[in-house]
Amino acid sequence: MNDPIVLEGNAAVEEFDVRKYIRLQMMPHFLCPGCGHGIALRALLWAVHELGIDKDRLAVVSGIGCAGRLSAYIDANTFHVTHGRPLAFASGLALVRPDLHVVVITGDGDCLAIGGNHFIHTCRRNLKLTCLMLNNEVYGMTGGQVSPTTSETRITTTTQLGNAEPHFDACALAAAAGAGFVGREVTHHVPKLKDVMRAALEHPGFAFVEVMSDCTEIFGRKNDMGSSPEMILRQKSEIRPSAYRDTVETPFRPNTLPTGVLMCNERPEYGAAYRQYAQTVKSAGDGKQKRG
Amino acid sequence: MSLASEVAESSQHSGGAAARGSREPVNVLIVGVGGQGVIMVSKVLASLCQAHGLQVKQSEVHGMAKRGGSVFSHVRFGKQVWSPTIPKGDVDILLALEWAEGLRWLPQLRAETGIFICDTKRIVPPFACLNRRQGAPMRYSRETPAEVIAHVAEAYAVDATRMADELGNERAANTVLVGALSTAMEFPLADWERVLAEFVPRKTVGVNLEAFRLGRSWIEEARRTAPDTSDPQGQGLAAAVVPSTVRVEIEAQWCKSCDICVKLCPERCLRLNSERIAELTDPAKCTGCRLCEWLCPDFAIRVHLQPAAAVA
Ligand SMILES: Cc1ncc(C[n+]2csc(CCOP(=O)(O)OP(=O)(O)O)c2C)c(N)n1
Ligand code: SF4
Ligand code: SF4
Repeated sequence: MNDPIVLEGNAAVEEFDVRKYIRLQMMPHFLCPGCGHGIALRALLWAVHELGIDKDRLAVVSGIGCAGRLSAYIDANTFHVTHGRPLAFASGLALVRPDLHVVVITGDGDCLAIGGNHFIHTCRRNLKLTCLMLNNEVYGMTGGQVSPTTSETRITTTTQLGNAEPHFDACALAAAAGAGFVGREVTHHVPKLKDVMRAALEHPGFAFVEVMSDCTEIFGRKNDMGSSPEMILRQKSEIRPSAYRDTVETPFRPNTLPTGVLMCNERPEYGAAYRQYAQTVKSAGDGKQKRG
Repeated sequence: MSLASEVAESSQHSGGAAARGSREPVNVLIVGVGGQGVIMVSKVLASLCQAHGLQVKQSEVHGMAKRGGSVFSHVRFGKQVWSPTIPKGDVDILLALEWAEGLRWLPQLRAETGIFICDTKRIVPPFACLNRRQGAPMRYSRETPAEVIAHVAEAYAVDATRMADELGNERAANTVLVGALSTAMEFPLADWERVLAEFVPRKTVGVNLEAFRLGRSWIEEARRTAPDTSDPQGQGLAAAVVPSTVRVEIEAQWCKSCDICVKLCPERCLRLNSERIAELTDPAKCTGCRLCEWLCPDFAIRVHLQPAAAVA
């Protein structure tokens, strides 16, 4: 039962219906109208469906926040744990249950502020685990405080005059800290987002995906970014993959952001090495018992 | 009227170069898609006429040549030609290198006497696929060559592209058509071949001359046999695509009126109703692209695509 997972390939003979993967009795969910987190959740479940992952083999761990709340809506094994610690919890789970697909859903505050330390060390270990960080540039759940990813000059409840702190590039951070897979996508491109998540789920090591998500009710409102449709259309016009910058100089659109699979390497995965050590110790122990 | 009688009639004409003996000048409209060689064909014809001491005026639209757009060229020749453009409906010979382009210009042909020579080659332009509904028919012409021929005084649907391909160079399709065109005029065969050899790329002179002769003999053969109504291409053109139907299911209880689906639907067929719940206003416009389903943060929309046959 505890054998590491082997993906059986695409079991998506059936058309994807998100309702087969959510807890219907919990719907409608608690997110505000237009919140991008819902779109990200759909993309994840779509990727799970395409890979043919059995719900019983899926474990979703999430921290606290609007993003953290998402695990509650998934009809699988879900764990809603303490703020900033979903990666720590998930690491333990992934080590003892390599037969599970362990997925962490976390917010930018959850992952990079209170959970920043856990984040860099999880990247460093490169344990097989998928981490989706929904980046809405703000602490949505607690009323819109500044987060480590809030862009410069943006207004939040704690930066009323505009944010003066430089923000983290979460993907660069993950890559520098040693994550085996790093990807980024916006919620506007749902099929692409699904593909990045799918590639992340298939990756044998630690896979980090940053999802650029819209906090419509708080961040959007405070920064005069318009209604939900305007915010999502803004992703299309303002967030452009860096390839655009490489081919066409876009002086009027400096806000380019690389998207897609940004890095993917074959660094040794921690879990396998860990289990091998454990096995050695275990067999040594067994030998002693026989002698005794 | 058969081409043979045409040719006989025109043989008394000065220079022997008119499809319409009594009328001056002779108007030839050559049409096609950018890159097919419309301009090359008109240069061949113009040069030939000049060599026979006739006055020639030629005008063209060729800006779309590299973009696969519509290209046409007017060639007028006779003892005296005043205007470089052919008056509406005065085309004596319409030579089309592409099927739909041929149909596009057909109304320019003289109703009673015009000759229509057209390649059945289909180059489908992007705007023929504007309807993005799954399984929607293309808006490319669905008339079969037989149907068209029946409405034109004298028409030939030539599968010139396949013929040229069989000779080993698909690009010689235009010379197959020049061969066909040559039968409607009285210039000596040797002159045609000499001018043609001047205008085609040097390496391809051989295959082009072969293509030219093939086009000529094809028309002569077609003239001998009864008008071809069997049309093997026709069925292919007429085969209708079975459209699928789309059903959009909206879970009103889950909709939070965010307006995303309404504003992002490319066909603009959704709206928020008086209770601010999403609703489909125009089912006929929905193409089943699923954008609303994907982007609804509340999972309130589901798009069902069903093949038409499955719908009772
Ligand atoms: C230990 C602890 N500290 C602080 C909080 C308060 N808190 C709840 S959610 C949250 C921020 C979540 O922000 P983010 O991770 O960006 O998620 P979002 O709500 O924006 O999706 C904070 C600070 C808490 N629940 N637990
Ligand atoms: S506060 Fe922001 S992040 Fe939280 S549910 Fe509302 S829109 Fe989404
Ligand atoms: S996207 Fe969903 S929640 Fe928003 S208006 Fe449309 S159906 Fe309602």
